[in-house]
Amino acid sequence: MNIRMLIYIFVISILSGACEDTIDVDLDKADPVLVVDAWINDKPEDQVIRLTMSQPYFEQSLPPEVSGATVTVKDNEGKIYSFMEHDAGKYVWTPTAVNPTLGKIGNVYTLNIQLQDGDSYLSATTMNRTAQVDSISFTYEEETPFFPESYLAEVWARDQVGVGDSYWIRAYKNGVLLNKPQEVNLAFDAAFTEGSNFDGITFIEPIRRGINPVDLDEDDDFIPPYDLGDSIYVEIHSISNEAFYFLTEVVIQTDRPGGFSELFAQPLANVPTNIYATENTGKGVVGFFNVAAVSGKGKKLKE
Amino acid sequence: MPKRTFRFLAIFVLLCSVSSLIAQQKVTLSGYIKDADDGEALIGATVFVRETKSGSASNVYGFYSVTLPPGKYIIEFTYVGYQPIVKQVELIKNQRLNLEMAGESQQLEEVVISGERVDANVTSTEMSTNKLDIQTIRKLPAFLGEVDVLKSIQLLPGVSTVGEGAAGFNVRGGGVGQNLILLDEAPVYNSSHLFGFFSVFNPDAVKDTKLYKGAIPAQHGGRIASLLDVRTKEGNSKRFEANGGIGTVFSRLALEAPIVKDKSSFILAGRRSYIDILARPFLQDLGDVGLNFYDLTMKTNYDFDKNNRLYLSGYFGRDVFEFDENQGFNWGSKTASLRWNHVFNARLFSNFTAVYSKYDYQLEFGEDARDKFTWDSDVTNYMFKPEFTYFVNNYNEVSFGGSFIYYTFEPANAVGVSAGERIDFSLDKKYNLESAVYLSNKHELSDRFSAEYGLRYSMFRYLGPGVAYEYGDAEPGERKPMTGVKNYDRWETIQTYSNLEPRFSFKYQFNASSSIKGSYNRMSQYIHLVSNTTASNPLDVWVPSSNNLKPQIGDQFALGYFRNFGEGNDYEASVEVYTRLAKHQVDYIDGADILINEYLEGDLLSGDGRAYGLELYLKKNVGNLNGWVSYTLGRTELQVEGINDGKWYPTRYDQTHNLKVAAFYDLNERISLSGNFTFVTGTPTTFPTSRYVVQDILIPYISDEGRNNIRLESYHRLDLSLRLEGKKMKKGKERKNEDYWVFSFYNVYGRKNPFSIYFSQDEDRVMSGEAINTEATRVAIVGTIIPSISYNFKF
Repeated sequence: MNIRMLIYIFVISILSGACEDTIDVDLDKADPVLVVDAWINDKPEDQVIRLTMSQPYFEQSLPPEVSGATVTVKDNEGKIYSFMEHDAGKYVWTPTAVNPTLGKIGNVYTLNIQLQDGDSYLSATTMNRTAQVDSISFTYEEETPFFPESYLAEVWARDQVGVGDSYWIRAYKNGVLLNKPQEVNLAFDAAFTEGSNFDGITFIEPIRRGINPVDLDEDDDFIPPYDLGDSIYVEIHSISNEAFYFLTEVVIQTDRPGGFSELFAQPLANVPTNIYATENTGKGVVGFFNVAAVSGKGKKLKE
Repeated sequence: MPKRTFRFLAIFVLLCSVSSLIAQQKVTLSGYIKDADDGEALIGATVFVRETKSGSASNVYGFYSVTLPPGKYIIEFTYVGYQPIVKQVELIKNQRLNLEMAGESQQLEEVVISGERVDANVTSTEMSTNKLDIQTIRKLPAFLGEVDVLKSIQLLPGVSTVGEGAAGFNVRGGGVGQNLILLDEAPVYNSSHLFGFFSVFNPDAVKDTKLYKGAIPAQHGGRIASLLDVRTKEGNSKRFEANGGIGTVFSRLALEAPIVKDKSSFILAGRRSYIDILARPFLQDLGDVGLNFYDLTMKTNYDFDKNNRLYLSGYFGRDVFEFDENQGFNWGSKTASLRWNHVFNARLFSNFTAVYSKYDYQLEFGEDARDKFTWDSDVTNYMFKPEFTYFVNNYNEVSFGGSFIYYTFEPANAVGVSAGERIDFSLDKKYNLESAVYLSNKHELSDRFSAEYGLRYSMFRYLGPGVAYEYGDAEPGERKPMTGVKNYDRWETIQTYSNLEPRFSFKYQFNASSSIKGSYNRMSQYIHLVSNTTASNPLDVWVPSSNNLKPQIGDQFALGYFRNFGEGNDYEASVEVYTRLAKHQVDYIDGADILINEYLEGDLLSGDGRAYGLELYLKKNVGNLNGWVSYTLGRTELQVEGINDGKWYPTRYDQTHNLKVAAFYDLNERISLSGNFTFVTGTPTTFPTSRYVVQDILIPYISDEGRNNIRLESYHRLDLSLRLEGKKMKKGKERKNEDYWVFSFYNVYGRKNPFSIYFSQDEDRVMSGEAINTEATRVAIVGTIIPSISYNFKF
């Protein structure tokens, strides 16, 4: 995918003739569906599962929360983690002295959601092993026609030996999570896709460098990703292969550079989900459940 | 061979023998028809025998043959835009008559007896075809002033595209990969430069293009929607000629000359884009960035004697993008075809073609040798095609022959290096053999009724060495799991498919100026263009049919009414209706991974297609003001389990109304104007209904899982151009050179025709837990008027 992106970016810059405007569009009305945002991990901190409802596409507000649900995660050893509603729609599990973290690599986790109206939902996933962050480096890059002079960060990590590991590499710049659609940085083994057999080696360069923020100024020029004094923290989350496919499709559907790249866009379609209604299966549900093992490391950019 | 083949053959033999029983002793008049000025063969010139009111037409090599009882005849040779020739011939024995016809503007010393124009529009059994000669294509206003064959055929009825800048074209609801594009008999797998803005056909080298939208003769097969037959010039066999020009995008030069006068000639035509050269002084900091595209088209021919001719043609073209010394991307095609025309006798004409054609692309990315990625891919074929035409008598013309294509597909020859560690993740090559034999007859049953009927038997073998995967079942629309692997040795057959493809068309003529025609044809397609993006792109891969991927089958029925009116058939008109049904159409699961995917077939879906429509066409051939109006009312849909809830949905190129007007006006000797206007119903697209947030990312949601459930605004555009001929005289003397300027204006009133509307969260960074803003963005590929200028010369 990213190879294509590079080409598009290049073509867009060469032929910046396509014209774009933001427009008003009338969309069909639809019934809201339950949204489950359940990405939990083994970091020793509060784990959060959010339950909300979908909203009309142009409603520019926080989504309506779903309160009063019973949310539990159970592992295959019979251990139950209860998520309590702290704020509306925000269900939290807090570590204790006995259970300082949630999850053990190789265990199967079942998410159970019981809504107030009686509907219930289920999902299951395995917590997979993750890759260790070895180090982070910065390289000084001279100005190019497409990019200002800047420091680019690079994370060094090696895929675990054995085919079929999926990772989501998440970076924080000065404590802020890089969460734009074009900043989603995924790895299947050490490369982009399944079946490429990049197994057991260092992550390929575009993934190592996928931890740089993508920010544009008012003139749509790139802002240097890192300056002296900035800090970075990189986490490698293990994800299930299903979560990898899910996030890949999320990127296809949400990262729209526009312009000429529209020639090669894929049709709009719904992304998959791994949440299932146990009764009343006709009711829609979207979202995803993943339990990640996380490794991480940080670095500050100094002279 | 199945039973029905035998039955068909029996009927066929019977029909032919009945015709020859009636025939007594016959003699044949045959020969080649050429342009008097430059010696180019004239394709489709009509030969009409007044006494028998029957006729024939010259084939693509300019050869004609008419068989008659001995006697005296008046024979008319006509060709649109040329002065007709009427010959009185006393036929006693077989006679060879080669002719040179002069263009209407050329002065000929000979006395010409003007005959009535015989109009092929009404009289020929051919339907659903459109011919565009290069003179017409040159006159049309062009995008950035670059005359383009593929953009021109989009002005014909039944032809559409997914949008500006998109590669290829769609015919009667067929996909881009369902058109067989032949350049001097060589298949072209990617016909575009710069993604889709220009086509690979150099207008200086092209002689004739003919688009078959239906009623495709049995001679051709392999794609289910259409055939675009592009023929290049032979090269001036009388004298040296150079054509060239400097346009906004390309500069061009074409040289042609006789090698041996009237026996052998060549043409060599090249084009290169020169944006990079022009930009370099201003963009020093672009460094090693390279962007260019070029092509070279050549052809040469040799007349050994009156019965043997040899043609050798070749094409080489490439698009190059280089970001720096380590990163780049290029693609292009190479074709070569060698043809040998052999006249066995006055009634048996043959042509043997050997073709090599290759499309490939290469990609290279990375910082340095320790971190890089290289990938190349190609489709290569070798083809041999013997073809025979037997002019049985004046009422039967039998064609037969075969076609044998050997393919190799290299989906990916790919290597990645990460921090010095090298991984080869190439995919296996695939080998295939596609062969076909055909037999057909053009039969004139009476003055009014004629028919062309034929049968093609095609066969496809997927050969080893290779690995065949088996896939299990999955929910509709989801990835199929791989369940088995089987290895095959060299030349071992992995899978075989065969199909019978009947072709039939008829004409019933009411009178000299009106007729009704009908046709049915079945086509099969064994190789598939796999593309899950809006427009086809250079990385799209052709994949062969296999144990998992069935050949596509297309059936088309068409019925038409053809009528000419006005003095001397000034106006041609036609109304056609068509229905197309297609099986095993390729589609993809959401999120399909089509590049370098060993298990690609697990991501493919198979569905049905249907299309129907009405086409109106009115053309004025003569006069200062001429041109055509084309209107198509159509519907094109697909039904695929796993998409749109398994219900029929319109394709991206479904266009309810498609109106095209092309007009040419000669103001005076030096200035001519042309314009074209396009109106097309908005493109079907998919809009979301809702939004939701997962992990701070805003995801669109379509509540009914619909596909192409809404239409964009209508598309309309006007283009104009003005052609100014250079002065004919210079200082009182006639100039040797001809030159002209073309000023063109694309999208005259600057309409922002939407190519697409996309939905996204806005670009600003949001903190976790904040509300995210959404917006809809309309993209117009060309949103303003685009003026351009080009200078063209000939000497």
